[in-house]
Amino acid sequence: MAAAQVSAAPVSTPLVEELLASLSRRKASGQVAAAGQAGWAAARWMADAGVTRAVLADDPLVQEIGLPDALRRAGIEVLTWPTGQAKREALGLEGPPDVCGVTVPALAVAERGTVVLEASAGHGRGIDVTSRHHVALLPADRIVQTLAQALARTFDGSRPVPSAVSLVSGPSRSSDIEKISTLGAHGALTEHVVVIT
Amino acid sequence: MSTWRRRDAGGVAYSDVEGTLRERTIVALSDRTLRGNLDTAATSWGEGRDAMRRDHGLDEMRERAREIRRQNIRDLPALLSEMQAKVREAGGTVVRAADGAEACRYITGLARARGVRVVAKSKSMATEEIKLNEALEDAGLEVVETDLGEWILQLAEEHPSHIIAPAVHLNRSQVADLFREEAGTDDVPDDREGLVAHARVRLREKFAQAGMGVSGVNLGVASTGTVCIVENEGNARLVTSQPRIHVAVMGMERVVADWDQAAHILQVLPMAAIGQDAANYVNLITGPRREDEADGPEEFHLVIVDGGRGALRGTEFEEALSCIRCGACLYSCPMWRSVGGQAYGSPYSGPIGAVITPLLEGPASPASRDLPFMSSLCGACGEACPVGIPLQDLLVRARARASSPATRTSGLAFRAWSRLWRHPSTYRTWMAGWRLMLRARGKAGWASHLPGPGAGWTQVRDMPTRWPPRR
Repeated sequence: MAAAQVSAAPVSTPLVEELLASLSRRKASGQVAAAGQAGWAAARWMADAGVTRAVLADDPLVQEIGLPDALRRAGIEVLTWPTGQAKREALGLEGPPDVCGVTVPALAVAERGTVVLEASAGHGRGIDVTSRHHVALLPADRIVQTLAQALARTFDGSRPVPSAVSLVSGPSRSSDIEKISTLGAHGALTEHVVVIT
Repeated sequence: MSTWRRRDAGGVAYSDVEGTLRERTIVALSDRTLRGNLDTAATSWGEGRDAMRRDHGLDEMRERAREIRRQNIRDLPALLSEMQAKVREAGGTVVRAADGAEACRYITGLARARGVRVVAKSKSMATEEIKLNEALEDAGLEVVETDLGEWILQLAEEHPSHIIAPAVHLNRSQVADLFREEAGTDDVPDDREGLVAHARVRLREKFAQAGMGVSGVNLGVASTGTVCIVENEGNARLVTSQPRIHVAVMGMERVVADWDQAAHILQVLPMAAIGQDAANYVNLITGPRREDEADGPEEFHLVIVDGGRGALRGTEFEEALSCIRCGACLYSCPMWRSVGGQAYGSPYSGPIGAVITPLLEGPASPASRDLPFMSSLCGACGEACPVGIPLQDLLVRARARASSPATRTSGLAFRAWSRLWRHPSTYRTWMAGWRLMLRARGKAGWASHLPGPGAGWTQVRDMPTRWPPRR
């Protein structure tokens, strides 16, 4: 899953570069895209990964970058959170296997390749972890350097604490068999971050 | 499944382990497969940890981690009150349990009252300590461990071998055999990827059925009432988001004051535990789901377990409460690396297990009295500990605690010995006699059978009759 640089020469900063490097170290991938191309870039990554259904967080950004249209043009079915799926289907036991959860992280941590997902009405806890693939749409100005900065912002006391915050650093893995890291234990097998400038 | 991990109520140590500590150690030492698996595991951990020391300054983070945890333990009552108030504010329920039995009664009663049939668990040492699985099974519930390593052990009907990597003593083909038996088919792949994919599907079925999710807690953050659950697989995210009820079981010492402290400990933990700068998933849970959310549990219960911890505050063992359960002292311990965790007969093995098991069990427990002696006191554990617990000192104190009342005779013998060796004349006389005896017993410079205090030595090796020994 090579990081495909989009041609419109998006603005990259040291923080973006560090995040992309950390993601690749964590066996995730990432790319930078201008807002006009981000929907198309995300849809193309999903089509390449063989995704047939996408479950989208209900976030204004998803519409702004035109993701639903781009997905439909790529022949990918679109469901928006909450999806109304029955439990077995939401857990991937029924329905198409190649589902991609699309999240909009509240923040990301450059030095360790972490996206910060906050649960709320439009941002279901299960979107990324129940799906086989995970695409995160990340506005570039949400990247911070350290975990301490991210946690300080998330829990700064200025608003109610979210019911669940998930720090996700790369695809799900397990080292429980012979101490060798193997991808795809319970959560997503792949993770791709589209940094939007 | 009804017989696995049986233990009597009350103690921390497993009651179904066979033989004495010494016998179990000898059995483990002669298990070549086990030794190989432990070597692989400890070596790969060591490489990762060295990289963390080199690239991320793990050693430099220790002093602050130590200060944070010591302060937490000093402030514990206030932190717990704050934690409790904040969880309630967020709509959760908090229960303080004096011991494991009380915690189990609460959780079992809750499951019964809500008509739960299947309980999905993520990895938790605290629930292992309080024997929650047995309690739930006795109440007629199906309990499924969803962490891959724990599930493998559940199928093998074995106890965990390591705090972080429970099935570290089993290899791939042993795992494949267990999966075939569970699935009732030979159609289970042999490669690691295939085995992981197989478990993923089998366990998703369990998540679809589970009415209650039970997790442990790595850290509680008092300022917001948040529990932090650190994991790599994603099963804890499913446990905390899919079932209708989430029960988090937390040892009372696992609380920090605020997010500044939490950030530091959350960085140190994966570095020391798995030799990586981040775990894959860190779940920060504050109360149940809010009214407008479509997933997440409707009920959140935090069960805070004392289980003998409170009594350690203010004692010479207080620092043991700083432990963040990373498992670094296990991997670094030459004793643990040779015999694995199961010989210890407690969910807590290795140096920290040898210290805290007898403390949580009480001094009279025959099951754990000898554990502090499972160490050569080399100090590797203290050096590995990311929160600076002086484990070697605690082991020495734990030995003193285990020995003092029972063996006054040996105290007398040691005093006589000390008097004998303190004066040059008696020392010389003693040594002359000893040399004569050695020469009489020895053959070609070596004695292989000695009487009295030398018998133990010559049971396993020869004693040179002259110095330097003859090659």
